[in-house]
Amino acid sequence: MLARVAENVYWMGRYLERMDDTARLINATTHMLIDSHEGTRFSWPVLIDVLGEDTEGFVQEGSSSELGVMHYLIVAEDSAASIRHACTQVRNNARCVREVIPREFWEGINSLHLFVQSECKLASSRAKRYNLMAEVIRRCQAVIGVMDGTMLRDDTYGLFNIGRHLERADMTTRIMDVLILQQLAPAAGRQTRRQFEWSSLLNAMGAVESYRRYFTEEPGETDVTDFLLTYGPFPRSVASCLEKIERSARWLPRSEGVLKTIGNIRNALDSEPLHSLNTLGMHKLIDDVQAGLIDLHGALISESLQAPAA
Amino acid sequence: MSEVIALDPYRPYPGCYDELVDGNGVARPQALSVARFIMQNGAEELARRQAELDRTISAMGVSFTVYSDSQNIDRAWPLDVVPRTIAASDWQRTSDGLKQRLQALNLFINDLYNDQKILKDGIVPSELVLKSKNFLAPCQGFEPAYKVWANICGTDLVRDGEGNFLVLEDNLRVPSGVSYMLENRTVMKRVFPELFAKSTIGPVDDYPAQLWNMLASLSPQDEETPRVVVLTPGIYNSAYFEHSFLAQQMGCPLAENNDLYVDDDRVYLRTLHGPQRVDVIYRRIDDTFIDPQVFRKDSALGIPGLIGAWRAGNVAIANAPGSGVADDKVIYAFVPEIIRYYLKQDPLIDNVPTYLCMDDKERDHVLANLDKLVVKPANESGGYGILIGPRATDEERAQCAAAIRENPRNFIAQPTLNLSTAPTLCDDLLEPRHLDLRPFILQGESLYCTNGGLSRVALRRGSLVVNSSQGGGSKDTWIINHGS
Repeated sequence: MLARVAENVYWMGRYLERMDDTARLINATTHMLIDSHEGTRFSWPVLIDVLGEDTEGFVQEGSSSELGVMHYLIVAEDSAASIRHACTQVRNNARCVREVIPREFWEGINSLHLFVQSECKLASSRAKRYNLMAEVIRRCQAVIGVMDGTMLRDDTYGLFNIGRHLERADMTTRIMDVLILQQLAPAAGRQTRRQFEWSSLLNAMGAVESYRRYFTEEPGETDVTDFLLTYGPFPRSVASCLEKIERSARWLPRSEGVLKTIGNIRNALDSEPLHSLNTLGMHKLIDDVQAGLIDLHGALISESLQAPAA
Repeated sequence: MSEVIALDPYRPYPGCYDELVDGNGVARPQALSVARFIMQNGAEELARRQAELDRTISAMGVSFTVYSDSQNIDRAWPLDVVPRTIAASDWQRTSDGLKQRLQALNLFINDLYNDQKILKDGIVPSELVLKSKNFLAPCQGFEPAYKVWANICGTDLVRDGEGNFLVLEDNLRVPSGVSYMLENRTVMKRVFPELFAKSTIGPVDDYPAQLWNMLASLSPQDEETPRVVVLTPGIYNSAYFEHSFLAQQMGCPLAENNDLYVDDDRVYLRTLHGPQRVDVIYRRIDDTFIDPQVFRKDSALGIPGLIGAWRAGNVAIANAPGSGVADDKVIYAFVPEIIRYYLKQDPLIDNVPTYLCMDDKERDHVLANLDKLVVKPANESGGYGILIGPRATDEERAQCAAAIRENPRNFIAQPTLNLSTAPTLCDDLLEPRHLDLRPFILQGESLYCTNGGLSRVALRRGSLVVNSSQGGGSKDTWIINHGS
């Protein structure tokens, strides 16, 4: 494939995954709120934290209400964290690489974009919002399904997959980190809510049932952090994402740097039993994994995707 | 006994040939299945199908770009629900005529850049060619594969009041629109599957394969499968949709200028896995922009050294640089003579009668009859700069007359034609709308003409302007074999 468009393919994968993840996160958080007791204090801007944006600036602008945050995460075209923004990026990138993707895949992305443009409005009721997010997830999955069923297993497919799984691993660690940081904060009543939060996280990943089976079937002192970071069979675990990235990266040129950073992240995860880590140690580990993912991205862009000099 | 279906209450404009019905509103034989569908299902169903068709086009992402206030705006491609039908017997002769024309034009271009026999024989005035800005000196003394310069031609056809096809203009530089012909058919098949089941409609979907075969036949290398690339100015170009569509359908890389470079007179593509040799370039960039070392120095779209590689015979470029010399509206007037000169045949398709303003007598006639004529600049495309005399204001006509006197070589005039019409859905009613037809003709090792082409329709009542950039729409074109 052309060196110029390689990055477009990668970003197309990342943004498509981000759309899906963001919609899941929104629904899971809302569900958690429905489950929690009347008067429980939960701050919506935490969601913006997860998505890596500047919460403080946002709160100061006075938009920290549920609707304000949802506007920011779903509708706002100028918000880098919004579903609408991610979708526009998916389509813009697809438009630049249309010649390397099958017609059905292009049509799928195009339909997704039309849907988001016309339907992604600020839902006043939580029920409506739930349905909207569920539809976004369904449509993202439809696009991925079309890709899976039609695309040649070539560089394009590989890069698209690397983008998707890098974004997914990134999102898994971000969500974890925010929950861990919440436990570090000395606010009253945290302890009783912790399980709500972890189960909402599993919910966001469509993993509640999988985790129950893992919990009852796997021996040893493992817990939810093992499941999310190192359990290969779970497709949203960091370990599973790394494996998929590695499999695709092997076919890329100049992939030594990418493969090396994957090894580094694995080493960090394997260095000590996760259940023995206290909250602070866990936070540090997540930080290391995230730094590793940033290195992975850097190695990909600056080495694998740079056309060799003529 | 043949079936008689009147498309009531539809009536064509008096004096205009209608593609679907005769003067009494009775369906022509090739339009029977379409007319039957319309009469059985009514305008309401047509409107429903139109809505379905619009949705399909949006979902397929078929768009075109208009430049407005220095911005590019993507719009959904407009396609009318009623197809245009043409009898296969009519089409056969037209298609032969189009191939004949392209063959002659290519012999002409090759002659101009080499021996210039036609100029020496006084068939075409020398100064007309040699002073044309489309005659590119750096192309002289070169012969491309098969001596064919314009490998892809989009010829605009119209029908006169009697239904005869006439050539309105030849587009030999970077003709566009074929992707819309293909997408129109895909959409229509989804929305009218029953009509396709009941009629014998000539298929169009082999075009990308035909295009690739033609391009591959130009390859200077003998070995294996040649590497063909499509060269685009980039995503901001108004025809980018088509560039990416054709690259996708042919399975070729879509390159921008910076994706290609020339080393030792060979052209390479910058890929993820290193440089790859390129054999054939289907350029969708104007020829004067393709090499800043030879043509426009200010071109940011070009590939330095490309013309050198081409002249060294290491890469084929389609259409060959310099092909535009034959798609000048003044040269157009000479095409019937050009056909006779090179092929010793009479043209199978006529030109629209044309007055050359460079000729004193003809210019006087044009200036005296501006209110009856259509005046066109010799070197514009997209319908820009045209004066439609009968509809222009006195002031516009005066401006045009001054421009003609200032630079007579730059203008031609033609009578205002009664362009043919076809029933078109306008506010849920069928009304006649004028249209033209752009078939695409390929010439490399062999000749190919599309089954029909892109029909463009003027959506405003009475309007003759069919360009999509100026409010035109389109129709799927069905070449129908309805038996004897």
